[in-house]
Amino acid sequence: MSLNDTFTSETELHGVSDPIIEIRDAEVVFEMDRGVSRVLDNVNLTVERGEILGIVGESGSGKSMLASAILDAVVDPGILSGSITYYPENGDPIDVLSLSDEELRKLRWESISMVFQGAMTSFNPTMSIRGHFEETLDAHDFDIEEGMERGHQILSDLYLESERVMDSYPHELSGGMRQRALIALSVLLEPDVLVMDEPTAALDLLMQRSILALLESLKEKYDLTMVFITHDLPLVAELSDRLAVMYAFELIEQGPTNEILQNAGHPYTRSLLNATPNLDAPLSEMRPIEGSAPDPVNVPKGCSYHPRCSVANNRCVEADPEYQQITEEHVAACFHCDDAVEAIPLTHDQAVVQEDEP
Amino acid sequence: MNWHLKRAGQALFTLWAVVTLSFVMVRMLPWSAEDIVVAELIQQNPNLAQNRDMLRRQVQDMLMIDPDASITEAYVQYMMSVMQGDLGTTYGVRSGEEVSAIIAGALPWTIWVMSLATFGMFALALALGAIMAYREQSAFDYSNSAVAIVAASIPYYVAAVVFIKYIGFSDFLFLEMIPARNRLPDGVAVGLTFEFVSGAFRHALLPALSFIVTGYGLTALAMRGNSIQTLGEDYVRVARLRGLPDRRIALRYVGRNAVLPLYTWLIISIGTMFGGAVILEQLFNYHGVGYWMLEAIEANDMPLMMGTFIVLTAAMVVAIWFGDLTYGKLDPRIKSGDEGEAY
Amino acid sequence: MKVKRTEDDTAFDETSDGRDSEYTSRLLSDGGQTARMFDDTEVTEVTRTQQFAEVVDESIVQPTKIAWSDWRTKIGMIIISLFFFMGAVTSLHRHGYEWFNGALAAVGMPWQLGEPRAQQAPERFLRPFESWQYPLGTDMMGRDLLSGIFWATPQMIQMVIAAGVFVTVVATVIGTTAGYKRGNTETVLMTLTDIAMTIPGLPLVIVIVALIDTTNPFLLGIILSINAWAGLARSIHSQVLSLREHSYVEASRTMGVGTSGILRKDILPNLMPYIMINFTFAARGVIYASVALYFLGVLSYDGIGNWGVMMNMAYAVMGAFEVPGRMYLLLVPMAPVVIVSFGFILFSQGTDRLFNPRVRTRHEGATKSEAEDEDTIHGPVK
Repeated sequence: MSLNDTFTSETELHGVSDPIIEIRDAEVVFEMDRGVSRVLDNVNLTVERGEILGIVGESGSGKSMLASAILDAVVDPGILSGSITYYPENGDPIDVLSLSDEELRKLRWESISMVFQGAMTSFNPTMSIRGHFEETLDAHDFDIEEGMERGHQILSDLYLESERVMDSYPHELSGGMRQRALIALSVLLEPDVLVMDEPTAALDLLMQRSILALLESLKEKYDLTMVFITHDLPLVAELSDRLAVMYAFELIEQGPTNEILQNAGHPYTRSLLNATPNLDAPLSEMRPIEGSAPDPVNVPKGCSYHPRCSVANNRCVEADPEYQQITEEHVAACFHCDDAVEAIPLTHDQAVVQEDEP
Repeated sequence: MNWHLKRAGQALFTLWAVVTLSFVMVRMLPWSAEDIVVAELIQQNPNLAQNRDMLRRQVQDMLMIDPDASITEAYVQYMMSVMQGDLGTTYGVRSGEEVSAIIAGALPWTIWVMSLATFGMFALALALGAIMAYREQSAFDYSNSAVAIVAASIPYYVAAVVFIKYIGFSDFLFLEMIPARNRLPDGVAVGLTFEFVSGAFRHALLPALSFIVTGYGLTALAMRGNSIQTLGEDYVRVARLRGLPDRRIALRYVGRNAVLPLYTWLIISIGTMFGGAVILEQLFNYHGVGYWMLEAIEANDMPLMMGTFIVLTAAMVVAIWFGDLTYGKLDPRIKSGDEGEAY
Repeated sequence: MKVKRTEDDTAFDETSDGRDSEYTSRLLSDGGQTARMFDDTEVTEVTRTQQFAEVVDESIVQPTKIAWSDWRTKIGMIIISLFFFMGAVTSLHRHGYEWFNGALAAVGMPWQLGEPRAQQAPERFLRPFESWQYPLGTDMMGRDLLSGIFWATPQMIQMVIAAGVFVTVVATVIGTTAGYKRGNTETVLMTLTDIAMTIPGLPLVIVIVALIDTTNPFLLGIILSINAWAGLARSIHSQVLSLREHSYVEASRTMGVGTSGILRKDILPNLMPYIMINFTFAARGVIYASVALYFLGVLSYDGIGNWGVMMNMAYAVMGAFEVPGRMYLLLVPMAPVVIVSFGFILFSQGTDRLFNPRVRTRHEGATKSEAEDEDTIHGPVK
């Protein structure tokens, strides 16, 4: 397929100049007894080389499915369609979905690696950490001695006693240690892209912080592009260059982090910001979002958010909004971006979050 | 506490409990083996009723306890004898022979058949279960699940009866190679000869098959279920994402982790099989420990009966202890005292 | 500025524990769920009758409904019911209520149930399926084999019930007590359980029946399952250990519900599938063992009180093995053993599948949890 044809004006609108991963019209469906379940709906997303992209969404919004889709790892019997293109630093673009099994096996972990949800159970309980490292190197025909040296180095970079951790079995490590060991394992083969699906969900707050700091230094040192998927908006806001917000299996808003925090265009994003707890904001200002997220079999017609939206009108019920331009790099899928800003004032100044950013 | 030490201690404790239990049955129950022996002896030789000393000596010879001693004394006596390998003297079957001698000649054969049956059954069940899980909801899975359930519904002795009649007694082609009776072909002496090895194998085949065919089914289904669950574990998914070869995932990830929770189940199966040896050895006229146990009961031979009970149970305890050693090797979680998903 | 996650953003919290909650909701499906949630608050207003009705509904009606939905449990239940039906009919017949024969005659069946005795039929060694009057044939003494099979059922059922109740009660008491009390009680009880599990059942049983020669089916049932409770006690123990960590048990405890109350209301209902499965295992084990011991003549008998008795006579007296054409004398009584055991196994396999998420297929699992939360699916990567 001719990749240049797929470059639409839309791509440029998102402010990406040097893409590393490009997702076009990605869709995942599951055939179920009670109907077709569409758990990823027409997702378009471009990841810039060297950036940290945050993807935010609530439970069951399809964000894990998006992560799986990037690696063509959607579980059976789900069907993934659309196109996913990986642009290596040198060489031709790779159409991920048309790779053979063997090519896909090589792409995974060598080029695009993943730390996914449930890191606590990502290690084989009957095998030492060293075993995991060695078999990974072996499976990808890497030099084991050299690879293990790098493995030790990465573990040390993550402030772990590499010898002790290597000799341990998973159950002998604490949650934070296991998480860091998994991150080390994921960058062992020096991939270009690291996709992380809720990598800190099971950790306590302090551990989350320190892992984030480690990730940032790791990114600098190993020149990684990161896709960070989470339900935790404040967490990802601190880390990421750009944000994409997911609601009901669609990406409803994308833009630079600062832009979204200060000037979100989609009513859902604005409500999400208001629903997010914040030490500095009084609890009384917190506004939970009314209603609940839709069922994948039965997504509302038109704009999928309209039943919960305070600014929705008939137009929202009838038609699904396209992306509307807010600034050059910031788009939102809503007919009423301007009304939303007035109708849903942000209860606190999110910009302060940015102060923590380097 | 060190898990291996704990399990070894438990094995010893169980052995002690078993010998104590047999003492209770020999001496302490209101309908104990001792009473039966005394009644039997007096019936055979009414003069003994008057000659108490003679009676005491005979009972002591057979059951290793002095009927007139206090319970504590008798218990110490009994334990000492058993620990020295003395299991008394028979009086019904092969009258006058040492129980331990009879059992020593029989035990290797029971262990041989049981090992064949146990390994055969587990190998078949675990492999089949894992393959069924991999091909879940395929025709292979459905047909094998159905066969497994039907096979599991057949008692091992029913299978044995059918095997004896239709294979053991058959002269059809190679089937005549498979005998249904005895431990060895006539005239073959024990030794490292081809005749001996092949004879021992052929004669053990039907008893072992009776266990394997009727025992593999439920184990295979349990393995299937566990493998399906393990296939859904995060670490298997991550292993695939890491690009590991399928073979390694199947053996090192799915297989090993699916077997571990079956541990208790496997122990119970081994116990059922050891118990079944009593029945099967009788049907196949296979002179193992179980065979002598039933012979003893038919002849009302209490010393031989108690001896076979102690030895069968001890063999089982040792088998389980071996299982523990293997399990400790397979599951690193066990060593740190955290029993993991073992039970 | 620091941003902190508090309780309030639970809307965004992922449930990592999808399997367990699925399991409980599955157990309580068809209405048990809501009842459970409000049990503790409403308990004061509920009368004893209502409570009883609720218990019956929760522990008998709902599980039966769920069980019926699976073809395995359905067939299993049909076979087991037939077995019990045979027992009931024979029992009534022995007490002089011969309406079963009346019914048979009314639908034109030439076969009549009757006490198996010599010269019951005019012809000896009649093979099966040769005469409608004696469908399964007759033996050396001219006894009707089908009547023999019926005749044995009441004692066998008494044995099965005694064993099932014995195993269930002992295992549940030991398992829950050990799991709930912890400490020394746990150590002692579990060591006892381990020992019981290690001792091979049949040799112990044989020694005991050799010492006490009894024909009482209830006592025999208990002896035959003398250490069969150990496996169930083990699994109940580990279930209780994991259940007591569950939040709703924790909640009951903090609300001041007593130990027995927690065991009864929170823990036992979750153990029902295990208990049901092991009841069937015990039943099957007792049938296996009793038939085997009668077959080999270890247990003494007078009259046909077990299918094993028929096998023993065929094997030891009538030369079923040696004389050509008499194998049917062994095969006929062996068939019902296989069929009943098939029923028990189907029932337990089906129950396991219904209640144990471990056995449910990953396809079902995937599509089901997909609807609730796509994050809980961990199926295979292609």
